[in-house]
Amino acid sequence: MASNDDDTHVPGGATGTPGRLGRLGAWLDARLRFSEQIWPELAHHVPRSSASFWYVFGSATLLCFVLQLVTGICLSLVYSPSAAEAWASLEWLTYREPTGWFLRALHYWGSNFMVALMTIHVVQVFFFGAYKYPRELTWVVGCFLFLLTLAMAFTGQVMRFDQDAYWGLGIGAAIAGRFPFVGAIVVDLMLGGPIIAAETLSRFFTLHVFVVPALLLALVALHLWLVLKVGINEWPMPGRLVTRERYLEEYHQLVAEDGEPFVPDGVQKDLVFSGLVMVALVTCAAVLGPSGPNGEPDPTLINTLPRPDFWFLPLFAAFALLPAYMETALMLAAPPVLFLLAVALPFYSGTGEKSWKVRPGAWILVVTVFVTLGTLAWLGIRSPWSPQMDAWSATPTPVEMVRGRTPLQLQGALIVQSRQCRNCHALGGAGGQRGPALDDVATRLTRDQLIRQVIQGDGDMPAYGKNLLPAEVDALVAFLVTLHPANEPPARDAATLGPGVAGAAR
Amino acid sequence: MKTELLRARSGRQRRRAATRGASGTPAGQRARQWIAGIAGQVVAFAALALAACTGLPGQPDPAARPIRPADVKDVNVLYAGNCAGCHGAEGKLGAARPLADGLYWHVVRDADVRDVVTRGIEGTEMPAFAMSEGGALTDTQIDLLVTGLRARWQGTPLANRGLPAWSVGSAPAGDLGATQRGAAVFAARCALCHGATGEGGLAPGSLVDPSYLALVSDQALRSAVIFGRTDLGMPDYRGGRGETPLTNGEISDVVAWLGSHRVASPRWPATPQRANPAREEKP
Ligand code: HEC
Repeated sequence: MASNDDDTHVPGGATGTPGRLGRLGAWLDARLRFSEQIWPELAHHVPRSSASFWYVFGSATLLCFVLQLVTGICLSLVYSPSAAEAWASLEWLTYREPTGWFLRALHYWGSNFMVALMTIHVVQVFFFGAYKYPRELTWVVGCFLFLLTLAMAFTGQVMRFDQDAYWGLGIGAAIAGRFPFVGAIVVDLMLGGPIIAAETLSRFFTLHVFVVPALLLALVALHLWLVLKVGINEWPMPGRLVTRERYLEEYHQLVAEDGEPFVPDGVQKDLVFSGLVMVALVTCAAVLGPSGPNGEPDPTLINTLPRPDFWFLPLFAAFALLPAYMETALMLAAPPVLFLLAVALPFYSGTGEKSWKVRPGAWILVVTVFVTLGTLAWLGIRSPWSPQMDAWSATPTPVEMVRGRTPLQLQGALIVQSRQCRNCHALGGAGGQRGPALDDVATRLTRDQLIRQVIQGDGDMPAYGKNLLPAEVDALVAFLVTLHPANEPPARDAATLGPGVAGAAR
Repeated sequence: MKTELLRARSGRQRRRAATRGASGTPAGQRARQWIAGIAGQVVAFAALALAACTGLPGQPDPAARPIRPADVKDVNVLYAGNCAGCHGAEGKLGAARPLADGLYWHVVRDADVRDVVTRGIEGTEMPAFAMSEGGALTDTQIDLLVTGLRARWQGTPLANRGLPAWSVGSAPAGDLGATQRGAAVFAARCALCHGATGEGGLAPGSLVDPSYLALVSDQALRSAVIFGRTDLGMPDYRGGRGETPLTNGEISDVVAWLGSHRVASPRWPATPQRANPAREEKP
């Protein structure tokens, strides 16, 4: 044991005669020089004005990250990253291992919380002008942290290796495959082959468990180091402009005049908030449970409606809704350009006003971004991604559309089922949503137009002309013209009025 | 404490000051408080994690876990997913013939039903369901369906005597004798609802519509005569009250008469101006 008299001084530790534990701590400290090197660092002074509840989101994100590390390590003890076993090992964890589901739920909700808190943190930093001189590098590193966190969320969704994962991967590969020249190589690297196969999971496991977390850890350390070294942003005041010449001086003066040690005073609100986040996270996990794994990833199973995790909905909605010719340009060009614009922010807007109160541009930008993302996410939730593949055999024709129909019309109703019209078209509120519901289609379309629609198709509706016999078209249309409310007459068949009118009606 | 910190110069002095500050002053108390706070959180966290063993609402229900479609063994689930679309939610009032029909199950044999489900019926809308035929069901599942649906809908046993044969094979085409006899049977037993010509009466719609006849097989017509569509008010071969049941021969004859209305190539759905709307594509 060292005999240095300083050994007994442990920050925050016991006073007077130290116990055995205290002596051990003191010995460690004497060797590690913690109280000499790190403690002053932690206790460095920060502006009193920034000890606010607006400044807690970064530390809460960090808390989530640490939790993700812990729960992730626990999960990796059971998880088997092979395509043949992954799904089964999650099944086992979810239904057999006593607290396995809770662990999965914590990891799942931890990821959701982390992305959410990180987003709030970014918005706060943006509104408070904290990215401005001299915190440019902190912002740049933060941008990459943002990207890496999303990468964790995406690769994590693949770890479930269920149908949703398949779906997400499929879309991801489709996007990657569009890069000019390198597309095929990127897909090959990503999936370990041209299609989703055994190697795909190994690659994503490596990314999710080794590569991305290592990068995250390194960048988080750098980010924190910068926060400590450059100092926490002061509460922005309208009219207090940032200039490269004077800012540092002013900041040091502010800290000297009205500062407080970061630990223990500055971090108090961080701790309170982190505690609340933890409670919320555990509650979500306990009440809402883990996500999936939904069906086993069997490409031949088509009767599920896969969706990506919430955070990717806007992206996928954009992908699904954009017209094909815009898709490629937007998918490939927009994200990198936007990201570069974001990274470069402190270099073209590094000085001047910090306060959100006098930066209307900041408001417009943030509101635009969130309205856009929100709309896309909403569309993503609402929009019928794919036809409902089992509606034709699982969703009966509504009884009132069977009663009182002629033999031919009944054959038509049968064709609507057996030719899988129901997969895209609802009747009586049940069925796919890819096309319009057909309950009162006869009020919108005349007999002629119905025939034309079925034979030629239109927009996303396939043309059935070659696959239907004349008698089948006859029966189908005979049924479709009965689809109108009793009190509303069917659309009048303009054709019966004469050739000229029939032509004009189209 | 703040001024002290600012004045402290040498490393040792600074350390002393920090140490003293952390232990004796309000700052030190706060430090202890938040250490206790962290400890509290960790304990609460662990407690909740332990509570997770005992049925929290988020715990996934093993009963709700996804099953591979080929592993589904519940007949009702199989029926709802594969048959209900056409044959109706409860086996009746669907677009296709009802299966919740005791008479039907008394007349058909398991092998017949299995064959129909496996291979579908050529020329009608009944698709093949066996995986070997491109469908979605395993042979085991088809067997389960046949026995399960029989158990569900056959009902009380009927006297086996005098039941008509489900299938007699196709009558020789253009058997004029059969057609004439069938016309008489139709006039006597069917015309009341379907009209003298079969083009509709109390019951809506024509039975002799070429498009309709092009879409139904003779077997389907025969089944319609034998079993009726009691769910829609059409009686079975035993007819209404006081009538004598149709004989096997009469059933064949009336089917022959209906079939005699078939035309070689049914028209495209007619509209007053154009017979063939497909021609619209090339104006
Ligand atoms: C792949 C999905 C899909 C299938 C299968 C499908 N449709 Fe459509 N259908 C659509 C879409 C999408 C539209 C809207 C077309 C448009 O954009 O104009 C549509 C439109 C229609 C319309 C016009 C509705 C209106 O209100 O304007 C009719 C009628 C129709 N379909 C009938 C059928 C019938 C009959 C079948 C089966 C033989 C069928 N559809 C199968 C997707 C489908």
